[in-house]
Amino acid sequence: MIRKPIPARWSLALGVLSVLVLLAVYTGLSLWQHHRNPEDTTIPTWSQLAVGVKQILEPSARDGQRWLVADGKATLIRLFLGLLCGIAGGIVLGLLMGCYPIIEALLVPPLSLLAKEPPTAMLAVFFVLVGTDTEMYVAMIAFGILPTLSQTVYLGVRDVPAELLDKASTLGASQIEIIWSIIARAIFPKIIDVVRLSIGPAMVYLIAAEMVCGDVGFGYRIRLQSRLLNMNVVYPYLAVLAAFGFTLDSALRLLQRYCCPWYVSGEK
Amino acid sequence: MKQDHGKNVFIAAIALIAALCSGAALSAGAPTPSFSLAWSEYPSWSTFGVAHEIQLINGKKGALGPIEEKWGVDIELKEAEYDPCLVMYGSGKCDAACITNMDALNPSLTRPSVAILPNSTSFGADALIVTKDITDIKQLRGKKVYGLAKTVSEYCFVRNLELLGENEKDYVFTNMDPAAAALAMQQKQRGFDAIIVWNPFVLETLNRRKDVHVLFDSTSIPGEIIDMVVVAQASLDQPGGKAFALAVIDTYYAINRRLADPKTADETLIALGEKFSHLDLPSMRKVVRQTRFYSTPEEGLKILTSPSTQEIMKKVSAFCVSHEIVPKAPTIGFGDKAAAPNAAFRLDPTYIEEYLKQEKSK
Repeated sequence: MIRKPIPARWSLALGVLSVLVLLAVYTGLSLWQHHRNPEDTTIPTWSQLAVGVKQILEPSARDGQRWLVADGKATLIRLFLGLLCGIAGGIVLGLLMGCYPIIEALLVPPLSLLAKEPPTAMLAVFFVLVGTDTEMYVAMIAFGILPTLSQTVYLGVRDVPAELLDKASTLGASQIEIIWSIIARAIFPKIIDVVRLSIGPAMVYLIAAEMVCGDVGFGYRIRLQSRLLNMNVVYPYLAVLAAFGFTLDSALRLLQRYCCPWYVSGEK
Repeated sequence: MKQDHGKNVFIAAIALIAALCSGAALSAGAPTPSFSLAWSEYPSWSTFGVAHEIQLINGKKGALGPIEEKWGVDIELKEAEYDPCLVMYGSGKCDAACITNMDALNPSLTRPSVAILPNSTSFGADALIVTKDITDIKQLRGKKVYGLAKTVSEYCFVRNLELLGENEKDYVFTNMDPAAAALAMQQKQRGFDAIIVWNPFVLETLNRRKDVHVLFDSTSIPGEIIDMVVVAQASLDQPGGKAFALAVIDTYYAINRRLADPKTADETLIALGEKFSHLDLPSMRKVVRQTRFYSTPEEGLKILTSPSTQEIMKKVSAFCVSHEIVPKAPTIGFGDKAAAPNAAFRLDPTYIEEYLKQEKSK
């Protein structure tokens, strides 16, 4: 029957099962590939993967750097700076657009156009405009997530019930007080939602840019090691990326549940 | 999959000969063995794309051009960027690939490979471009030099440092895609005083920025960076594998004859350059000088058999080991399979020899 609930234990077991099936399929695939070519490195066996993981974690012979540490540091700094600029800008613009029709009229048309522009397609434009240092990555991420983010905030502000605003006004609240105490609070959980959804695209833009002009970072390492066919290094890097994204996403959900229980319990 | 077609090869070959002898138009009755060649846009490799355009061969699977009919084999062309070509070849998704001698070493460790046809050598096509205030290599010490790491760019850089008596450790080779590095230099971005890139980026950068010059290039290491067609040993061992190698060789020299013929030279040159970059005819003439073609079978044979090539391969292999491009040095062999049965990477002149023999007997 459609939407018939299943016991919680079942849903946990099925979730674990699907991950196990995925791992089993991979194991089978790698065994089959090594049956065809025992020397293969493109679908590494688990022992080959272990060697790759060791290579990532141990200081490299050439410069003494641990790959994962060096790459993780570079990528994280770029990602967080980019997210910070994009999110801060998006929230401010979204609030202003939602509160003041002049700014709304001014900014909605260009932002709706820019929201449809894939930043990866504009990679060369970013090189030309902001160079190739950290500011390029930051600009790319910020520019990539800002239009959608500001639009979501803007729509959220418009959804704040008018009677709330009217009531605050009659009670003598100033504009700043209304924005901070009413609007910002009402849309806070939505901001967390849209930030969660922005992390994925932000990583796409960052990795794409790093693949082209990074000399350190996840995108750089993945492109280099793919070219050298060291897939036993590439797959662990992909796993780290997935785990990182998942952790960040879960943390934001927890934050949302903690800060805005009224919003979360309203769902479902 | 190709083995299933094995029995039919003889039938196909007989049918082919019969059809050719009687002068009748051939209608492919029995399936022809099919092999794939991955290639990327580069002057000497675009020959295969051009051969498809002018219908000497048909790069689609299942369709035959005149050269494919002559050898009774289907060549499937797979065009991709250079990096994906390497990955495709290394992971067994194609039978052959257009790659350099240096990049062939790593895949050969897991997939024994044979160089059947040297196409060209970089003779100025890889160059270190610097701003005009830099006239001596020592001025670059401690400065960032941008280029794609662990490729021929880095090789060219390091080899030239060696020749100049410099220590690699004094220099900072910094990874960046050549297109991005060239763009940054053309824009005069801060810090981009030295880039080492390959064509078309060398010519483009020199054309667009007049205050930069070449400090050194691959003319100092002629014959060390060789663009070639590499085929998996396993594919050569399959029925039709040899015919595939011969057909690829035939195609390459057919285009080279068109380049040598004054009547067709210019249009062929333009066709080669069309997708490579928007370079005009004079620039393309320069490109083919800097990417020196081994345009005759005799030249190709010389490269595959000369002792200096053996020395070069040793040097290249040592570079790849010290720069962690390969986990260990592959055994490199010269001659046919009997001469070097255990070689991971083998430079084999016998396919060009066989092609010459068959051409002469015609």
